[in-house]
Amino acid sequence: MSIERRRTGRLVILSSVAVLVIGLAGALWFGARLHAERADNATIAALAAGQEVAVSPDAAPEVLFARLHFFTYRDRLDEAQPLLNRLAVDGNRPLAVASLYDMANARLRLAIDHLGTNDIDPAIPLVRLAKDGYRRALTLDPGFWDAKYNLDIAMRLVRDFPQIDVDGEEIPPEAAKRLWTDLPGLPQGLP
Amino acid sequence: MARRLRLAFLALLAIAGATPAAAQVRAVDLYAPRAFGYVIGDALTLTADITLDAPFTLDPAALPTPRALNYWLDLREVRLDDHGVEGGQHRYTLGLTYQTFYAPLEPRRLDIPAIALSATDGARRVAVNVPGWSFLSSPLREVMTSTPGQAMTLRPDTAPRMIPTAGTRHALLASLVIALGALAVLAWQMGWWPFHRRRARPFAMAARAMAGALGSPSSESAYRGSLMALHRAFDTTAGHGLFAEDLPGFFAAHPAFRAVEGEVRRLFAVSRDVFFGGDAPGAQRALPPGELLALARRLRAVEREAS
Repeated sequence: MSIERRRTGRLVILSSVAVLVIGLAGALWFGARLHAERADNATIAALAAGQEVAVSPDAAPEVLFARLHFFTYRDRLDEAQPLLNRLAVDGNRPLAVASLYDMANARLRLAIDHLGTNDIDPAIPLVRLAKDGYRRALTLDPGFWDAKYNLDIAMRLVRDFPQIDVDGEEIPPEAAKRLWTDLPGLPQGLP
Repeated sequence: MARRLRLAFLALLAIAGATPAAAQVRAVDLYAPRAFGYVIGDALTLTADITLDAPFTLDPAALPTPRALNYWLDLREVRLDDHGVEGGQHRYTLGLTYQTFYAPLEPRRLDIPAIALSATDGARRVAVNVPGWSFLSSPLREVMTSTPGQAMTLRPDTAPRMIPTAGTRHALLASLVIALGALAVLAWQMGWWPFHRRRARPFAMAARAMAGALGSPSSESAYRGSLMALHRAFDTTAGHGLFAEDLPGFFAAHPAFRAVEGEVRRLFAVSRDVFFGGDAPGAQRALPPGELLALARRLRAVEREAS
């Protein structure tokens, strides 16, 4: 075998070993990722099935959102709030929009329940928070029609007025009373 | 950007004491999208082309900051593009993105306020007025619903979705294919399974060596060397030193070589003459180098078919 052939042979061996190492490293990396994603999907499926599965705070945003949805669906808003805080500032915009929207929906549903039993006082802050949530969702995604629709419902429950913004966060009690005169009517068809 | 709406031309105001401002602010042209059919949450972008006389530049500190302008209107984004000075005129494009959160019960005209900017040449300041605009805001739902309860029926939640794994699966598969391909190349080069037979082809190597040595004119030493190479190939194939007496056993173990049995026996007879009988010239006549080479190639072919 000539020197040149031997050199070519060594080159083939070296490059194939390098490619082999790269391929194996890639396989390990993607294998681990696939495993983690499968585990996350199992958690999401369990939460969707109604099992209360504990989730680490630094889990994947999709898992955090599944847990948030689990809480908002069951009106456990205090437990959902920390998840929302985390998801709303994370880089994943669609999930931030979905989290804000689901949380606002939960608040608005709760407020409508209160209104159904003529329990107006706790309903007002809930509607205000829901409106704020829809607005934040729409700021991130102005084309989100479901959020527009539900914000419109919330707006007709408690209308925005210029003087509220002038007064800032605190609503004077008479302003709140003035607001409720604008309520077009209590929800129909609810108990 | 749709139609050009030249809402204001030469919108200018001089600050008290300054020379007539008309000389400094050439034009402020406002380009606006359609002026109707906006619902709650819609974003709209106004563009203003601002032309100033050359020494004057827009004061960036006077630009509005994105904020809530009032209870229903947010200024979302302010973008100023400086096109530089050309023909004694300094051109700018100001992009203003607004978002409306007004929930009207019937179509209603809403106003976007004018914006006051200022330009300076270092000593004098002049006001640059970007005119306001108005658009029709439309309701999203009817005021009274025909079916009771529908007014309070919310659009459904966004349901959680599974993490898509197809991309990772494909990447994993691709990595494995790459690793397997590299392993195959390595195995082929190193002669590992299933390429181990590639290395174990002694007759092929012998034929290759002989083709070089037996080129014309062939010397006696080259002839002897060629015979040795063939014998070594037989030894390697048999797994031990092979002599004429062992040939029946060899053919029993490697039946493929039966096809050339006569020639192999002749080869062994010739090499006995060469190495032990000392009759090299006679042997070369009995089996000329050309025929020897042809035999080596036949053996190589038999070996290749057998493997």
